[in-house]
Amino acid sequence: MRNVIRLVWFDLKQELKPPVWIVLEWLTFAVQLFIYGALISQLVTAPEVGNYQQFYAVGFVVMMTFDIGSHTGRSFVEHAHEGMLPYYLSLPISRAKLFLSIALQGGAELALLITVPLAVTLALIGNITIVSVTAAVATLFCLGFGIAGLMLGLSFIAFKSSDLYTAITTGLSTIIIRFSTVLYPFIFLPPGYASVAAFSPLTYGADLVRLVLGFNPSVLLNPVYAVAVLAALAVSTLGLGMFLLQRLVEGVKSS
Amino acid sequence: MTELMRILRLARNDFSYFFRTKWLMAVLLSLNLSDMLVVALVYNKLMRFNYFQFFIPGIVIMGLFAAALDTGRRIWLAFREGVIHYYLSLPISLNGVVIAYLLAGGSAAIVYSSSLLLIALIVLPAQAIWSALILLPFLFVLAIGLAGISAALAALASTHGEYFFAYQQIVQIVLLTFSTVFYPIDLISKYLPLPLVTIASANPLSLAADAMRQYAFAGQPIQPSFLLNILLASVPLALIGAISYLTALHLVRVKGKL
Repeated sequence: MRNVIRLVWFDLKQELKPPVWIVLEWLTFAVQLFIYGALISQLVTAPEVGNYQQFYAVGFVVMMTFDIGSHTGRSFVEHAHEGMLPYYLSLPISRAKLFLSIALQGGAELALLITVPLAVTLALIGNITIVSVTAAVATLFCLGFGIAGLMLGLSFIAFKSSDLYTAITTGLSTIIIRFSTVLYPFIFLPPGYASVAAFSPLTYGADLVRLVLGFNPSVLLNPVYAVAVLAALAVSTLGLGMFLLQRLVEGVKSS
Repeated sequence: MTELMRILRLARNDFSYFFRTKWLMAVLLSLNLSDMLVVALVYNKLMRFNYFQFFIPGIVIMGLFAAALDTGRRIWLAFREGVIHYYLSLPISLNGVVIAYLLAGGSAAIVYSSSLLLIALIVLPAQAIWSALILLPFLFVLAIGLAGISAALAALASTHGEYFFAYQQIVQIVLLTFSTVFYPIDLISKYLPLPLVTIASANPLSLAADAMRQYAFAGQPIQPSFLLNILLASVPLALIGAISYLTALHLVRVKGKL
């Protein structure tokens, strides 16, 4: 386990010296929530939504979770193409431990990044309990691991063309966010868009977090489906990622 | 070959690099088109206010801004990868290199945002397409100004990638949030303090978005003073960028590095 932790710290310390990105993400969150979110909420008049600033705050935390999850998956692929992967593979640790270190690093980055925004969001919403906070955090981590696994699962494209992989994952990220309930409730999506949003993992992540934090359940999706989809996503994509690491990464060329 | 021809060749090279960067095109197109065809449409259902009509011109300006800002990334890459030494070895003056980059940045932004404008004209019929065409040269000057900001950030960040992208993100968020791209000025003046309202009103992105809304889509007659304001807000930005980039190039020529 000590080797796994050492490997996690090896990558994580690069993000923390100096912690530019973390502070920047927090500042972005503050500006987005207290300027953009506050002003847009004055324009939102649909009574079903309630306080849009609170709705948006949860959506933004989910977007941050998505970003960090996809960053974890993408950085693995970047390492492969920058020549770091052969170094990792040459280390005296098993592939399973290597995979565990990647997942733990993603989890640590996620925890560092969303602690402050989540605390601000919870303070803004108010009326929360330990159970609801724990359930929200568990949902966000489940979503983060699922997204990281999804990006790892798409890495087979990168082994053919790194440029194409970046184009697909970055383009896909935008679409996954827009066609989801991160920014607006499901019932307001036109039917064509709603059927696409039903395939977005963010739809289930955002609605489940909102449900446990006490938002109006009538505008949210059935939590049973949300739990099932998020659990299936995390297990299946992480399983796929582990398979890829075991089978496909050996002999990846650096470019 | 004259200096002008060399500048144009260098500008063409940088211009084509923008459109050949696949991931960048994927990000910009997916972001702007999904904002236009999904976010604007769904937000419209959440509001009594016609947000679709309001936001679509704003998205065209957002596209112009994002494409112009990419100039800085290309300049920063040239510093980091050492391509700048190749440019310095070319038979072209330092001023020529600066002009070529700003021209390329402005041209890439105007071509990209014009494609968004075409899509906007399909989804939201404009009252005065001629006004949109009259606005384009002014938007081109604005794009050069925004490319200038980006060039200044690249020169400031030197070869530190993390700082360049951090500066770029800060500028992007501040300029977009404190503008009328997303919400009308009446709303901003109701909820934000006066200094911030003044910043939002004078913000070149607000001027461009409002001009696009009023003149191209609402069909109001063009006010020359409004166009002059766009020029007055853009030219200083272009000059700041040009001076910063020129200073950085001069440093590289004298010291070999930034």
